[in-house]
Amino acid sequence: MGCPLQLVHEGNKIHEVSGYECNRGAKYAQQEFTEPRRAMSTTVAISGARWERLPVKVAGTVHKKKVLDAARKIHALRVEAPVKAGQVLLADLMGEKGVNVIACRTMARVASAQEKAST
Amino acid sequence: MPNSKMKTNPKTKTRPQPAVGQPGGRFDVAIIGGGVVGCAIARALSRFRLKTVLLERNEEVAFGATKTNSGIVHAGHNAPANTVKGPLEVRGNKLFDELHKDLHFGFRRCGELVVAMEEAQIPDLEKLKRQGEEKGVAGLEMWAPERIQREEPNLSTKIVMALLAPTAGVINPYEFAFALIENAMANGVELRVNCPVAGIEQAAQGLRLKTPQGVFETRFALNCAGVFADEIAHMLGMKDFRIIPRKGEEYMLDKRLQGLVRRLIFPLPTKTSKGILVIPTFDGTIMVGPTAETTEDRYDWDTTPFGAEKVFSFVRQLCPSITERDTITEFAGLRPASDTDDFIIGPTRVKGFINVAGIQSPGLTAAPAIAERVCDILRDEGLSFEEKDDFEAHTPGTPHFAALSPEEQEFLIKQDPRYGRVVCRCELVTEAEVHGAVDHGARTLDGIKFRTRAGMGRCQGGFCTTRCMDILSKRLDKPFHEITKRGGGSWISVPMEAPVPAKPEGVR
Amino acid sequence: MLGRLEKDYDVVVVGGGPAGMGAALGAREAGAEKVLILDREPDPGGILLQCIHSGFGLHYFKEELSGPEYAERFLAKVVDRDVDVVADCYVSGIAVDSDGSKRVRVMSAKDGVRTVQARSVVLCMGCRERTRGAIRIPGGRPSGVLTAGLAQKLVNMKGQLPGRRVVILGSGDIGLIMARRLRLEGCEVMGVYEILPYTNGLTRNVVQCLDDFGVPLHLSTTVTYIHGRDRLEKVTVSPVDERLRPDLKRSKDIPCDTLLLSIGLIPENELSQSLGIQLDAATAGPQVSSTMETSMPGVFACGNVLHVHDLVDFVTNESLLAGRFAGEKAQGIRRPADNIRTVPGDNVGYVVPHRLSPEREHTLYMRCKKAMKPCRIRVGNLLEKKLRFVVPAEMIMLKIKPDILEKFQGDSLRVDIVPDGGKESNGNG
Repeated sequence: MGCPLQLVHEGNKIHEVSGYECNRGAKYAQQEFTEPRRAMSTTVAISGARWERLPVKVAGTVHKKKVLDAARKIHALRVEAPVKAGQVLLADLMGEKGVNVIACRTMARVASAQEKAST
Repeated sequence: MPNSKMKTNPKTKTRPQPAVGQPGGRFDVAIIGGGVVGCAIARALSRFRLKTVLLERNEEVAFGATKTNSGIVHAGHNAPANTVKGPLEVRGNKLFDELHKDLHFGFRRCGELVVAMEEAQIPDLEKLKRQGEEKGVAGLEMWAPERIQREEPNLSTKIVMALLAPTAGVINPYEFAFALIENAMANGVELRVNCPVAGIEQAAQGLRLKTPQGVFETRFALNCAGVFADEIAHMLGMKDFRIIPRKGEEYMLDKRLQGLVRRLIFPLPTKTSKGILVIPTFDGTIMVGPTAETTEDRYDWDTTPFGAEKVFSFVRQLCPSITERDTITEFAGLRPASDTDDFIIGPTRVKGFINVAGIQSPGLTAAPAIAERVCDILRDEGLSFEEKDDFEAHTPGTPHFAALSPEEQEFLIKQDPRYGRVVCRCELVTEAEVHGAVDHGARTLDGIKFRTRAGMGRCQGGFCTTRCMDILSKRLDKPFHEITKRGGGSWISVPMEAPVPAKPEGVR
Repeated sequence: MLGRLEKDYDVVVVGGGPAGMGAALGAREAGAEKVLILDREPDPGGILLQCIHSGFGLHYFKEELSGPEYAERFLAKVVDRDVDVVADCYVSGIAVDSDGSKRVRVMSAKDGVRTVQARSVVLCMGCRERTRGAIRIPGGRPSGVLTAGLAQKLVNMKGQLPGRRVVILGSGDIGLIMARRLRLEGCEVMGVYEILPYTNGLTRNVVQCLDDFGVPLHLSTTVTYIHGRDRLEKVTVSPVDERLRPDLKRSKDIPCDTLLLSIGLIPENELSQSLGIQLDAATAGPQVSSTMETSMPGVFACGNVLHVHDLVDFVTNESLLAGRFAGEKAQGIRRPADNIRTVPGDNVGYVVPHRLSPEREHTLYMRCKKAMKPCRIRVGNLLEKKLRFVVPAEMIMLKIKPDILEKFQGDSLRVDIVPDGGKESNGNG
């Protein structure tokens, strides 16, 4: 889904945004023009869980140009199971207040290698 | 209720596995090459008090021409009686029933039809029938169109006559080779994998074979090296023959077409090939092919648009409802054809070095008979054959869960709960079967695939790949990323190391 | 995640992905007492668990969630409504008794073979990816050629990269998302190649997954040869003409160790076929009534097993509906039979559901065959809606109110997508 958005500007000044079907679209166009930011999801290494990786996301957004730097910071994390979805794994990513890295999945601690997924 | 195939105890004693990291050694016989021919010879020799080793260049046996073979046990009427291969083809066919009883590989005598597309071909068909009868092929019959349509209603109505050979069969060629080598190993034959022969020297007591795993000293060396057989002979300065690989492309069709034909369907053969066939494989899938194109490259396993066009335009004449869109996978293999166009089996001017080369079609059919012939040659050359008292002809197969009745399936799960967990959904392969494949010698994903069918179905491994890799990783005690598709450089994944992405170019 | 497995259920749901969870919830909300979900994975959630990117749940949860979050939240709802969830098991067959009740055969390592009785069954097996064989790329058979979904599992769950230098064939959403994913993990992505003249993914994904990371998108180009013996070494790419025939003279080779295929999804209907359920050749899924009931009474289908969706929220909507009717049927509530057949007309690939009734409001799900803009959807002579554009990659949804259908006399309702009759197309008029 998506709307083909158009934005009329003069230098840094936005004159008009059109083509959107909801306010999200209008806001997106403005944001994309002035300071493009991105939602970010990736995984981090987890030990003691059924799987080798824990999905995580950034609560909030990261400046588009800083996405790879942010990924590097997040990938340095090491997590030990158990972990709960929503748990904050790293606060204030890239020094931005409230931009936290949170777990996206609850992962139980598995007792032994046998319980690790044969999947 | 449970049949004989189900007596497998999941906790059977550890089976012999390939020796790893050990030096060479002294042997009576060294077999160079673990294709179906080498494996059949290994098994034949394992009946006797002999020290035998099989040296295989790949990670597993049967990974060369055998793996890509069409899987046909020919009735025996094709090759003329005055060739080396002619009598071996007929004899080989007859040996399969007993082998099957002992070794439980997939084999079914489904019969074959050689079809004539026009009246002018009928004399050739009759000639083929006479040739077969002279060679002792049983049950040959000519079928008129009404009979053809009644028995095989999906064949073209343009077919004017067909020759039935009821003793032809379909087989899983790799399963056959795996079973042969496993039984040979259970009876004392040593298998070395990843062990290509790099050089051969004559010595006082026979031959010295140089490999990355050290030197193997042996009284006799059997050159069963398939497409590389001439290179092996060159190592001793012999240039009597050349292997001219003949490539065949095969196209595997969706299971939806199961039952399209009940018998093997052959066009009338030409000089270079038995033509492009419709094959109801042992597993019930329809396969079409192979092409026959000479190539210089001994690693040319590529399928080509040209080959596909050839196969499909041809088989549509035999069976009009087949289309390219039904393909689920395709592959190519190389027939190790020699420049004599016949099998080259026999001793050479180098004492102890025996060629078993140029084994192209009908090599799979002939393999058991070739093994007998090679034993005779070795005896003639002075090797003494003393039967073992404790030879065990029987190797238990692993049950194929999908092929069992619901009651049998239930019985198996009660015995071993791992039969209750499905690893490959397209072919209904269970965790117990994958473990069974490892018990029986699988070391790679292809090794699992060709023993269990996991990954052979519609989704082509999308679902089972990580599952099979996990099991291999655990069982072989190797990290996940060291599991390969078929050994060598066929790696599947790399671990995410401390993932520090380099700043790539072009990032805005 | 192993629940109990009892003998008798009102509704048994095959598959615990978003469709299965939605159907189970729908059935409970309709008053079905005993509802069971059977799933083959160790944890329910289906493909959502490996779709770690955000973009799920905007419609249903009113919030942008990642796949695992969506799955976890939905599962909590399902468990909260006392649905039995049995994971790590496999449905190996369904039999229908003469009285219409169903026997579902379930295999698992834990319980062996069990037969479960069900009044209604909902099929939610999802879909699988098309493979190399389906598009028949010639060349060698090295390792390193795999579907984007398998790569996604390797990366997001197993902590493994499928390779380091990647070419992606097909611009479906999974392919685009994997381009970004692999770039984040430091892989080189040489390019995304799409045989069609337009992308098959959402525009948002083209921008955020490719443009942001400098990954080039090559339209009207496809992979025509695979090179490599053990491991993939390079692929040949060639431009195609308007009839999608490659121009091999203008080919070039792209060095890479990995080729990801994102070339489409196929509903997994082996179980449906074993029941003799009628399928729609266009969707490769069952033909269904407006209650999502298949040609086998009491067997329902929803989600990607029915037709491949773009967004999980729509799967959820469809599944809640299917579950609701499966639940009603299990309680003996009868709905009048649908008497209007939907027929895909001009530029319409398919329409789901296949039959409607004037009894209540319907949502029609459909896809166009080719891109068109601007255009109108015409439903018989009952309804017309203007759209700025349609593309095959984006499913079209259309609500039809009961009062509109009440006026309808015929038994088949044709749906067309036609160019908007504005100035452009009627230039002389």
